[in-house]
Amino acid sequence: MPIRVGIPRALLYYYYFPLWQDFLQRLGAEVVVSDLTTKGILTRGVEHCVDEACLPIKLAFGHVKNLVDKKVDAIFLPRMVSVAQGEYICPKFLGFPDMVKQNVPGLPTVIDTAINVRKKQQDIHRFTREVGVHFNKGAVKSWLAYQRSLPIHIRYTKLLEQGHLPDEAVAVLAGKKPKALAETDLKVAVIGHPYNIYDPFISMNLISRLRKSGVKVITADNLTEQMVSQGVKRLPKKLFWTLSRRMTGGALTLHDTNAVDGIIHVAAFACGPDSMTGELIERFIRRDRKVPFMNINLDEHTGEAGVVTRLEAFLDMVRWRRQAV
Amino acid sequence: MKGYLGIDVGSVSTNIVFMDEDTHVLESLYLRTNGQPVVTVQRGLKQMRSQLPANTLVKGVGTTGSGRQLTGIVAGADAIKNEITAHAVAASHLVPGVQTVLEIGGQDSKIIILRDGVVADFAMNTVCAAGTGSFLDQQASRLNIAIEEFGDLALKGNAPVRIAGRCAVFAESDMIHKQQMGFNLEDILAGLCEALVRNYLNNVGKGKEILGPVVFQGGVAANVGMRKAFERALGIEVQIPKYFNVMGAVGAALLAKEAVSRGVPTRFKGFSVADREYKAGSFECDGCPNLCEVIEMAESGQVIARWGDRCGKWATALAAREAAI
Repeated sequence: MPIRVGIPRALLYYYYFPLWQDFLQRLGAEVVVSDLTTKGILTRGVEHCVDEACLPIKLAFGHVKNLVDKKVDAIFLPRMVSVAQGEYICPKFLGFPDMVKQNVPGLPTVIDTAINVRKKQQDIHRFTREVGVHFNKGAVKSWLAYQRSLPIHIRYTKLLEQGHLPDEAVAVLAGKKPKALAETDLKVAVIGHPYNIYDPFISMNLISRLRKSGVKVITADNLTEQMVSQGVKRLPKKLFWTLSRRMTGGALTLHDTNAVDGIIHVAAFACGPDSMTGELIERFIRRDRKVPFMNINLDEHTGEAGVVTRLEAFLDMVRWRRQAV
Repeated sequence: MKGYLGIDVGSVSTNIVFMDEDTHVLESLYLRTNGQPVVTVQRGLKQMRSQLPANTLVKGVGTTGSGRQLTGIVAGADAIKNEITAHAVAASHLVPGVQTVLEIGGQDSKIIILRDGVVADFAMNTVCAAGTGSFLDQQASRLNIAIEEFGDLALKGNAPVRIAGRCAVFAESDMIHKQQMGFNLEDILAGLCEALVRNYLNNVGKGKEILGPVVFQGGVAANVGMRKAFERALGIEVQIPKYFNVMGAVGAALLAKEAVSRGVPTRFKGFSVADREYKAGSFECDGCPNLCEVIEMAESGQVIARWGDRCGKWATALAAREAAI
């Protein structure tokens, strides 16, 4: 019987799910994903997590708990230290496997091998070898499995760059036809961490609300690495957080090239990097007063009135300004 | 006589205005919502009917405020708009050339920046109610003075006491401390106004370019102490429009006029809605772990609207039934 390995639908799931799934399957695992976020999952997360953590980490706890309830044999929680040379992922990701092991009762095996390519790309050898051990696979077999999975990741990234959102890209990879989107008259950039903006529950359906209002949504993940690095060139020094760099670079490129009619920044409550990148993006954009900008804060509350009012007012403003020109 | 109705259903007050075809406000009502939006709107419409000549023809209705959807369904609205747009429309109509709108209501406060008659930027208070009218309301009742006298008393203070305005809870303990120290009431009230203004400008007005003409509206604009505190902090004159406390309703009426200007007949159900029986109820949907609280509105025993479900299952079921009829 294959080992059932759970992947939580949280945090970097939105970047690496197709790669991880394929890699684990090649090692002989059966992959189980936690359910879509619900009030129940978030509540479980808040219950089990330490109070000081940010909203996305609390939510990820809920997804881990959901996998525990699904009675998987192992949970895949790679310790995400660095995914790009000279850059880091937020320190909370680094400590996430430890936080989980300390706080969630009844855990199965946790595969928490580190991914750390900050110094050298070759470190991924160690990662594949250590993950392979859990499946009784040798270093070479594991390395080959990973190499064979990489094309999926490249295809996935390409799909994102073509304008698909993660869940749509995953569906396309699974052989489904992409859904045709309704007519739009506006283009709005939604800038935020992937696990905030793509989770319909946490973002209170932000993206589908915008689409229903006739807006084409663009995110930083729809941009190529080249476009992102173009945007961060304006910054006085290097942004070494990978996700923040992508968000800031994406927002500034979209702003500088007049590619969008408005920019919405989405921040999660208690997120450290968000409070800085949000401010950074806002200052650069307000300096030119060219593109309307709005900041939305997400928290545990489920009252949607606040988000709805702000979105409506923002779109009114964008359309009104365009008419006036 | 022909004209337009504007209805603003806020958390604290419900305001209704009647505006003639030349956009002159003929009648205005300011009622306390008391947590009963539908009953209050019905009462208001009844009162409005008795104040208007018998041959009055309502050409259009607009609703705004946090109860806009509910009221829009009950009254049959032609325009249902968020309060930010409504306030901006009203301010730029009544005070041509306005560049900054400061609005402080019961549970929210906002700033709207207009340039060349178009909204250029806006912000609303975030997760905290510090800096809103209910803060003053609370402190006034704690000091045992009527909210109506607050402003005049605050004006008499000539050495405003420094009170922390960042958080309503801390402001209260700070204020008690100052009372115990022996500061007089007027100076404490003046200090409260300054604290609120400071907090508003730091929180809601953060990073905004406040240029004159400045308009101050919303229920709190009745407080002359607040107006003075704003003028002192900003160093520019602050205007209070004649209809400062019903500006949202004025904006809604203007938006209704625009909505029906393209020759669409009004959806207004007539003043008789005041006599009909409306019943709002709610239930928890157990279709998934989200456990949405679904709200139902029934008119004379017939369900006419449902909302609050995240997936739209209940709302669309009703819409589908309506379409079938």
